[in-house]
Amino acid sequence: MDEVVVYRQRRGIEAVLLLLAIAVAVGGYFLIHLDIDAELPTEWPAAVVVLTTLALVAHLVIRWRIPYADPIILPCVMLLNGLGLAMIHRLDLGGNERMHSAELQLGWTAVAVAVFCAVIFALREIRTLNRFWMLLFIFGMVLLLLPLVPGLGVEKNGSQIWIRLNLGFGAYSFQPAELAKIVLTIAFAAYLAGTREALVAAGRKIMGVELPRLRDFAPLLLMWLASLAVLVFQKDLGTSLLFFGLFVVMLFVSTERLLYPILGAALFAGGAYAGFLLFTHVQTRVLAWLDPFADYDRNYQIITAQFGMAWGGSIGTGWGLGRPNLTPLAKTDFIAAAFGEELGVAGLSAIIMVYAIIVARGIRAALGSNDSFGKLLASGLSFVFAIQVFTIIAGVTRLLPLTGLTTPFMSQGGSSLVANWATVALLLIVTHHARRPQTAKPRDPVVNLASDETIELKAAA
Amino acid sequence: MSEIVVLGLKLAFLAALWLAILFVAAAIRTDVFGRKISTAELQIADGQPTRKQLKAAQKLPKKLKITHGPQAGTTLPLGEPIIIGRADDCQLVLNDDYVSTHHARISRGGGYDIIEDLGSTNGTFVNNQRITVPTQIGTGDSVRIGQSTMLLER
Repeated sequence: MDEVVVYRQRRGIEAVLLLLAIAVAVGGYFLIHLDIDAELPTEWPAAVVVLTTLALVAHLVIRWRIPYADPIILPCVMLLNGLGLAMIHRLDLGGNERMHSAELQLGWTAVAVAVFCAVIFALREIRTLNRFWMLLFIFGMVLLLLPLVPGLGVEKNGSQIWIRLNLGFGAYSFQPAELAKIVLTIAFAAYLAGTREALVAAGRKIMGVELPRLRDFAPLLLMWLASLAVLVFQKDLGTSLLFFGLFVVMLFVSTERLLYPILGAALFAGGAYAGFLLFTHVQTRVLAWLDPFADYDRNYQIITAQFGMAWGGSIGTGWGLGRPNLTPLAKTDFIAAAFGEELGVAGLSAIIMVYAIIVARGIRAALGSNDSFGKLLASGLSFVFAIQVFTIIAGVTRLLPLTGLTTPFMSQGGSSLVANWATVALLLIVTHHARRPQTAKPRDPVVNLASDETIELKAAA
Repeated sequence: MSEIVVLGLKLAFLAALWLAILFVAAAIRTDVFGRKISTAELQIADGQPTRKQLKAAQKLPKKLKITHGPQAGTTLPLGEPIIIGRADDCQLVLNDDYVSTHHARISRGGGYDIIEDLGSTNGTFVNNQRITVPTQIGTGDSVRIGQSTMLLER
């Protein structure tokens, strides 16, 4: 009897880990109030019930629609989201006047979980997207360049990556790049799954390096130009790096050629250096990275973040006992610094570890997937996630110049939260297909030389 | 609260955070290797609930689908008698040197389908068993003739 290896569904372990994740996040929330007021807030049961319900809904939808999905990813996401909510709430309390952005963020979490469920319902047969890659590519490009449209784009903190929509009930602004990230990853995965053979095989040799044919290469060239346009016109190094990195990594994964990452790094280094020479905005960022203390007023944000993390030390000041509010934009760009201050190196490295686990599970799904579209999609989504986390946390901790990316699942902000939950939904769908037991193909009698039946076969008269 | 309690709670929280990561690591560890099961069990485990499959199996198949072989993808409605073979007067013509001119017949009668081998050279296999007498077949059964494998579907 033939034997095959199958993965268990492991939905039970997912439920247990989810409860554990919520317990840790709620523990943080309680500690804030215990440390500040020595008593729990009156509204705590409501907050806990809402968060648990959201986790339960996501879990049940997975159980119902994609029962073989990876059991690790959702608890990790829930842990990050819960800790982010706790920290935003803590920053609400720390200001001069009581703010309510954590409540708003909880509302956005609900929207994000709804989108997560919708994606799982609508796109379970994700391979159907394969056919629409051209459409998705164009849609992604439009989204990416949307903030450049006059009257629609808004400049914030020196970068033009937001658009403002005037809906009936008031103005609402969001970052289209967050959605473009997902759409373009799907488009790339579908495109490269179809053309990877051509990219490797066909083409002329120039100076010992085989170059692909121009028509196979055109969409990729276009992508490079678009990421340059983001850098030049939207003046956003982070978004540009994110899209360019995504495109280079996916090219490398699909062709297995070291030429692409080397070429990509060189091109990006050139672009970044040109950006440094041309834009004062980029210069400020680089100087704040190299020597923040040279200009205390201008680099106030990065300096206070540094002081905060230094004060936090190895185990932190404790929830609610630091002063992360001193750093401007502590709820969005600098939320990692707030964690570094109040939870110390021990806490911040735990958070980075959770991100690493999510990325590792994504790449595991890519390895286990049995079609190239799934493989490329899973690796693209995990890499885009990894690049984003690395860039922003490296920026906050001064390993790299600061770029204005969000910290996935933690930063305050609706579009980022929704987009990241949607990314996780896609990743889980790929893992469902990768881990589902596959019916073994019956052996083709002609190929099977070991079988006696084959030898018995003779041409019928 | 006293400072010692605050310190204790702080350390307890960090410990809980890392403990959660350790639990995740343990869950990953038990997930590295899948479980080995036989292909027969897999039919049950594969996506569809067992009860549904059993129910479906009780109902008559509607079509015959070639799943493997040179003509994979071809389907043929069931109900009328079908003769499978290489000759042009067969209802299902298989262009295959290992198939006899008139190889096998599938007919319906008494509420079920019956397949019989018409004295072929290489035999007719139902679920990988060579048949010698007319045999009852139903939804989900596989039939192999020459290089082609067929499946009875609803």
